[in-house]
Amino acid sequence: MNRPVSRRSIIGKLGAVVAGVLAAPAAKAAKAVAQKLLVSADAPKDYHPTAHKWLMAIDANRCIGCGLCAEACKRENHVPEGPYFRTWVERYIITKPKPGSGAARGETLVDCPNGGINGYPEAPVLKEEIQHSFFVPKLCNLCQHSPCVQVCPVGATFDAPDGAVLIDPKYCIGCGFCIQACPYGCRFLSPVTKTAEKCTLCYHRITRGLKPACVEVCPTQARIFGDLKNPVPDDPLQQFYQNNLVIALKPHLGTEPRLFYAGIDKEVR
Amino acid sequence: MTNDLINIVVEVMPRFEGYVYPNEATQQPLWGVLIVLYPYVTGLVAGAFIMASLVRVFNVKALEPVYRLSMLTAFAFLLCAPLPLLFHLGHPERCYEVMMTPHLTSPMAIFGFVYAWYLMAVLLLELWFDYRRDFVEWSDSTSGFQGLLYRFFTVGVTDVSDSAVQLDHKTGHILSIVGIPSAFLLHGYVGFIFGSVKANPWWGNVLMPIIFIMSAMVSGIALCVFNYLVLSWIRRKTVDMKCLDVMGMFLFYALVVDAAIEALDWIHRIYSAEEGFQVMQYMAREKLFYTLSLGQVTCGTLVPLILLGLLQLVRRRVPELHRRRMYFTSASLILMGVLAMRWNVVIGGQLFSKSLRGVMGYKMEFAGQEGWFMGAVLLCLPFVLLTVMVKLFLSERLPTSGHIPHREGGPPAFSPAKT
Amino acid sequence: MRRLFKMPPQLFRIFLLAVGIVVAYSIARYFLTPASFGEYGWYRGAALAEMATRDRVYAGKQACEECHSDEYQKLIKHEHKGLSCEACHGPGEAHVQNPDNPDVKMAVLHYSLCLRCHEANPSRPKWHKQIVSKNHYTGKCTECHVPHSPSEVP
Repeated sequence: MNRPVSRRSIIGKLGAVVAGVLAAPAAKAAKAVAQKLLVSADAPKDYHPTAHKWLMAIDANRCIGCGLCAEACKRENHVPEGPYFRTWVERYIITKPKPGSGAARGETLVDCPNGGINGYPEAPVLKEEIQHSFFVPKLCNLCQHSPCVQVCPVGATFDAPDGAVLIDPKYCIGCGFCIQACPYGCRFLSPVTKTAEKCTLCYHRITRGLKPACVEVCPTQARIFGDLKNPVPDDPLQQFYQNNLVIALKPHLGTEPRLFYAGIDKEVR
Repeated sequence: MTNDLINIVVEVMPRFEGYVYPNEATQQPLWGVLIVLYPYVTGLVAGAFIMASLVRVFNVKALEPVYRLSMLTAFAFLLCAPLPLLFHLGHPERCYEVMMTPHLTSPMAIFGFVYAWYLMAVLLLELWFDYRRDFVEWSDSTSGFQGLLYRFFTVGVTDVSDSAVQLDHKTGHILSIVGIPSAFLLHGYVGFIFGSVKANPWWGNVLMPIIFIMSAMVSGIALCVFNYLVLSWIRRKTVDMKCLDVMGMFLFYALVVDAAIEALDWIHRIYSAEEGFQVMQYMAREKLFYTLSLGQVTCGTLVPLILLGLLQLVRRRVPELHRRRMYFTSASLILMGVLAMRWNVVIGGQLFSKSLRGVMGYKMEFAGQEGWFMGAVLLCLPFVLLTVMVKLFLSERLPTSGHIPHREGGPPAFSPAKT
Repeated sequence: MRRLFKMPPQLFRIFLLAVGIVVAYSIARYFLTPASFGEYGWYRGAALAEMATRDRVYAGKQACEECHSDEYQKLIKHEHKGLSCEACHGPGEAHVQNPDNPDVKMAVLHYSLCLRCHEANPSRPKWHKQIVSKNHYTGKCTECHVPHSPSEVP
């Protein structure tokens, strides 16, 4: 076939391509059918994601380490058994310095048995040797510049307009990049769904006017939750910010976490 | 009671020392041997291609015998490259999403496009333009299924006049030039995947893409040396020593640069001793001793440097047989050393906690998604593919238009082109 | 256009192939991208609604007040007013959905639950009421304390 390809056949081919592209409206209808779009009829119809900005804050001065929050989260969100936690509570024990050592402090011991779900056993050191000890609930830090969202290759994890950082379980391919990229260790790969999972601020609860499960069961209001765009009278979140000096975790990484902590020590990473 | 039991089990699990975040306390690290293999394989592709492009772009005539073998090596390994990724995904059936809705802030998102570009626009095209004339000739002279295959590869174009062949060479030359940055992109983005993770101090630093590219080039050249020596040995053909010596020279200097940059990374880490340094030092000493100190540094870098360096200095005094053995040993050690390096980067980054207070161990399983067996199969597969390709495209029986692999006893060259 | 048709055949074929691949990709992308993608950002907008419609396991304190207003009113007048009913009684949504079904039960309570919050632990803040249980009393907590009104004597 050494003769050059004929002009007619080329125009014919190009014409077919153009016609195909112009058939967009018909294609769109076909596409909707092909997509089998699943928008549940049960979705809260009067909820507009852009009208809210949910946020949580932690007052570690109030946490008693009962672990009810971690347990409630596991139940509410059907988190798999094993080392998988959407939220957990860590215990920090800072011991007194050895006499004559010239040190300001002793060593720091951190533990988290089973995420703190069953509460905490006795401390591994004697009460007399403890300089400070406290509990730190941990969860998604709700970063403004989330590194997890940045690295998702397909757009399965995202910053929702109302403040939560969510994962679309129907779109996630399970590559695990977001889990590696989160500096706070708050993500995991679910062995059940084989997708990434994390704290969703109990999205299915807050969109219906309820509180996240962990906030609901906390006996001492160590977890404070609210809507920054629609504060209620005597809003606990606004009061928290008003009354406390706060820090965020790992500020040097530039993730700008929106989860603030009151009452924790420099040893908390 | 059960709660107490759970507490005890979690706390005394020997895999962990110190404090690790609860989500990190899994049996296996998230990115296992499959993610170790992927950078290794793409690195070999990039390195083999760069070596082949030395012939086309930089006119290193001495390397002509190994040009086609290098290109076929790159091709065979590139075909196998997506497999470890696919097997690693939690939902491989959704893999198309990365090309349909690529999230452009993610380095992983460019995988689909860079891979497609490199496979089609660089490797396949360059191979096709190099082999086009041979396909036309072979489709005429071979019969049966193989003949049909060659005919298919001609894509219906049978012009083998002088001007057409000239055009082929010119296009191949341009493709080679385009291919060099493409190869850097193909493997460099993998280095950037790790280098961009600021959450992990073992990975997140600016030298990571450079280190990956340099070690890729080293491993690619080593693979070409290895393949050339093995092919010659299997076919009982004489090795073109000039070609081998030039390959060895490039290998040595690439290794010097690679070792220098990796040493720079180490020196900087030790000197500036930033926040995670203590835990990373502990991890590297305790958990990575065999793969790092022995595998990557001693066997994979120092010994080949000495062997190859010696050969640069006293090449003429060393008889051919010993030279071949030294090249083979160096190439094999380098191949293992670069695999160890990938292991140290990928697994090492997951052997310490982001709390910077604890370390984990790693016991590989044999079977399973990220087990020994899967890794071994995926490593052997490219060699199987390469064998098929060598039989089809580097056959000793078929006449060829150029790039003859062996000095004597090779296939006859074509007579001057027929129109 | 003229130059195009005068291209050498091997280049022309490759060019056609390239155009074909790009067109095939564009068509595939059009069909395989979910409809709601890009609605709010680089993600499937429908995911928000899907996540919002999951079933609940905990009902929330207000849900208990509807039927158990006596206990609720007692609780909020005493020291345990900050507690949610479900903190001690366990998840309640199943019971709220099936209030008359005797097989849908709330969690069985045990005294270890009291100790979960009130067992003395040096890591707990000083203002929190805590006891060393083996020094305090080894019998049942409810012999001296009423859970809904802890400072009352039974």
